Amino acid sequence: MYSENWAKMHGATVHFPIALILCSGALDALGFFFPVPAIRRGLHAAGYWTMMLGAAGTVPAVVSGLVMSRGVMLGHDTLRLHHLFAWPAFALIIGLATWRALASDFTAKKAPPGYLAGAGLAAVLVMAAGYYGGELMLGH
Amino acid sequence: MEDSVTPSPEWGEGPRFFLAAFAGALALASAYGLSLGLRYLESKASHQQPTPEVWFETPTPSSPALIKQGRVLFLASCAHCHGADATGDEGPDLHDVWVSDRYISNIITYGIKHEMPSFKKKLGHDEIIRLTAYVRSLD
Repeated sequence: MYSENWAKMHGATVHFPIALILCSGALDALGFFFPVPAIRRGLHAAGYWTMMLGAAGTVPAVVSGLVMSRGVMLGHDTLRLHHLFAWPAFALIIGLATWRALASDFTAKKAPPGYLAGAGLAAVLVMAAGYYGGELMLGH
Repeated sequence: MEDSVTPSPEWGEGPRFFLAAFAGALALASAYGLSLGLRYLESKASHQQPTPEVWFETPTPSSPALIKQGRVLFLASCAHCHGADATGDEGPDLHDVWVSDRYISNIITYGIKHEMPSFKKKLGHDEIIRLTAYVRSLD
């Protein structure tokens, strides 16, 4: 029961950061190439807020996942694969959100390619972690 | 309002980048700390020998023959508590355990105080490998 409730909690919390981080990367990438300045600013502002909310959303997702697995950080087989993608994604997302929060006048400026590459990598890691998380729940 | 075509210089300033990297590392370290705390509480609750996790570990060798031999050992030493089909009786269900091979063999070797006997003296290293291969085959 203990793990079951936390599993439900993990399922309920994990989809917000997945959706928001993927959206953030897509919005910033679109903003990077968009020719109209006003729309570009809007896209970067949306990219900023989705990154902030996505990063905040990783915390309950990580806590519920850890409690659900009783502190197992790696585990075995599919769980291990899930974790090998989830932990780098978590660190990268928190790092990107901090970088973004510290950059002044964040919404009006064009994101540097390094940030966009990081956001792209975070999106790939999140998708892979999500895929193996789904396999854990539904793959058997 | 300014809308620079080139990336803003404020983004790339060294200290901010390093603070961001530090925040990422701190997040990971916090998760690790929480993991250690949870495993400590879990081991206290069940008197279990803690098994530190490692990033890379060699999986226990497995083959149909090993699993078959492990099944024979299981029926002789474990089935009276875990059930003949390992779905649990006095002891827990052993299907779909998410822990590492090392964790399984550690439990078999040292047991769990007040809950499960140690098989260190009864079973040799090779037999514990066979048992681990059998338990793993239940996934």
